[in-house]
Amino acid sequence: MKNRLTNSISDKIIIIIIGLIVLTYFLFITLPILSVFLKIEPSQVSAQIRNSGIIEAIKLSLFTSAIATVIAFVLAVPSAYFMVTRNFPGKTIIDTLMDLPIVLPPAVAGVALLYTFAPKGLLGPIFNRLGYIIPGSMIAVIIAETFVASPFLFRSAKVGFENMDKDIVNSAKMLSGSRLRVFFTVTFPLSIRAIISGTMMTWARAMGEFGATLMFAGNIAGITETMPLAIYNFLYYDPLAGVTLSIILIIISFSILILVKLLEQKRFGAKK
Amino acid sequence: MIKINSITKSFKEKKVLENLSLEVKNGEIISLLGPNGCGKTTLLNILSGLTRQDEGNIYIDDVLVSGKAGTKKVYLKPSERKVGYVFQTVSLFPHIRVKDNVAYGLKTMHLHRKEVKKRANTLLEFVGLSEYANFYPSQLSGGQKQRIALARSLATEPQVLLLDEPVSAVDPQLRESFRLELKSYLQKLKITVVYVTHNLSEAFIMSDRIAVMGNGRIEQVGCGSEIFYKPSSSYVAKFLGVNAFKGKAIKIHAGELLEIDANGVLLLAPSAPNLVGKNIIATIKPEDITLSKSADPVSNGTTINSVEGTITEMIQMRSTAQITVDTGFLLKARLPLSIVKNLGLTIGDKIHVNFFTDSINVFTDDNNENRRDN
Repeated sequence: MKNRLTNSISDKIIIIIIGLIVLTYFLFITLPILSVFLKIEPSQVSAQIRNSGIIEAIKLSLFTSAIATVIAFVLAVPSAYFMVTRNFPGKTIIDTLMDLPIVLPPAVAGVALLYTFAPKGLLGPIFNRLGYIIPGSMIAVIIAETFVASPFLFRSAKVGFENMDKDIVNSAKMLSGSRLRVFFTVTFPLSIRAIISGTMMTWARAMGEFGATLMFAGNIAGITETMPLAIYNFLYYDPLAGVTLSIILIIISFSILILVKLLEQKRFGAKK
Repeated sequence: MIKINSITKSFKEKKVLENLSLEVKNGEIISLLGPNGCGKTTLLNILSGLTRQDEGNIYIDDVLVSGKAGTKKVYLKPSERKVGYVFQTVSLFPHIRVKDNVAYGLKTMHLHRKEVKKRANTLLEFVGLSEYANFYPSQLSGGQKQRIALARSLATEPQVLLLDEPVSAVDPQLRESFRLELKSYLQKLKITVVYVTHNLSEAFIMSDRIAVMGNGRIEQVGCGSEIFYKPSSSYVAKFLGVNAFKGKAIKIHAGELLEIDANGVLLLAPSAPNLVGKNIIATIKPEDITLSKSADPVSNGTTINSVEGTITEMIQMRSTAQITVDTGFLLKARLPLSIVKNLGLTIGDKIHVNFFTDSINVFTDDNNENRRDN
């Protein structure tokens, strides 16, 4: 009897401790996000959006991240398919290298890109001869964003292709001799959710890119000053503008995550 | 007609098929029967072209579809082989409607749109699912899905149909009726069918001949009763649940029966003079054994073997019981429950095991020693 009593008391203590841990963690993540919204009145936001500096940063971010996402799609999806369907020596090493930008500190990515594309870098002389100087240009922003963000799509597409039911693809191969037809009518549609969610993650990452852009492309208003860089600059002389940009980025990121979650839940053939 | 000539296939050092040969006649339904992992599916994949063999040739209707012609390597793509394939898992395209699933192969044939539609309808009618044309696969039952998969594989008018455990995707309580349905479709089609299963009774129901597979090769080919009455190796006997025991053929007894010594017990088997003096394996079906409290009264020492032993195990099933008797070697008998009840059998009882001399099947043990009993 006594034993049972102490048991139920220790159970309760454990539940309380776990409850506190969960609450602490939730607040730790949500409070900072909330604090941004508390910093500004809705009316001030609408006033800020007319600020030309902000509009320029938004335009630049949307443009560069869109281009980076398209480039990532064109490069990463076929590469992911190749990676999943073919075996070759050194595959694991190459696969790991391709995923590396996901965990690499953005500053390192920035340095690496500089040593590649700067006029005296690995590929710099080629662009020099063509009359381009990459660092400090909008192209540099796009390169930095693609470099850092595309591995998200690469990974996600690989998972999509890997999880395909082999028998379904084989059924298609039995009936159709054209690889392209099998890919576009079966493999691609069946991995589309993974590819779309990867694309959105890539876009979100590109929108948020800061470190590599700062190191490689610099911080030039209207040319390389994307939203995250603008937030950094505004923080000293126009905090409200910085807060407005932060809110916009939070809303974009939140929407993307919600969309990705919805996509992951959707099943085929649910409609009648 | 399919001709498989000395096929060998390894996956990373592991030999899956070893020097396997098999011929399937035109319009024949043959079952590949064997335990999981014996290479049945690999063989189907090689026949279809989804997997390539390391060595050996495959001919479909006398055309070399994969292998070597002289020094020239030949390999036809799956879609070029006139082979249909129904997979073990439900492999319908989940994102398109049933009618588009069936029409998938038709669309590669450069037919007019009307013709595609017409043929797809005919195929849907054939499997009795016309009213489901606009459904998505997820709205069908397991059996319906496999019927659509069958219709889809028939669209390109294959000459050979490969079926890999098609029944396993169907709910257990509906498998029996699905089997019979499937059988009637296959009989109507009159095409060559290779049917993979690990289920004994399914192989019996579905096919004209059965090829028992084990250890990467075909152990025995024959019609159902043939392999049941005369298993050619202890591997086949064990897989079919037939008693198999080692012994030595001693002499021809009374001019027409073979006397064998199985672990000290003398038994009579059908005459086989060429076996005298050799180590043999004898097999007998559990259904061919009867049990009695005293020596079988009909036994006159010439047509019925009657051996005394002790019951070591009794397993009761729905309508029969499997009773293991130690007679110096273990023999399994399968008896109706009513008889078991009448005899009042329990474990430890002394009992006589009786079976006709001609229900024993004997073959030499020489080349089987090393390979079989693993």
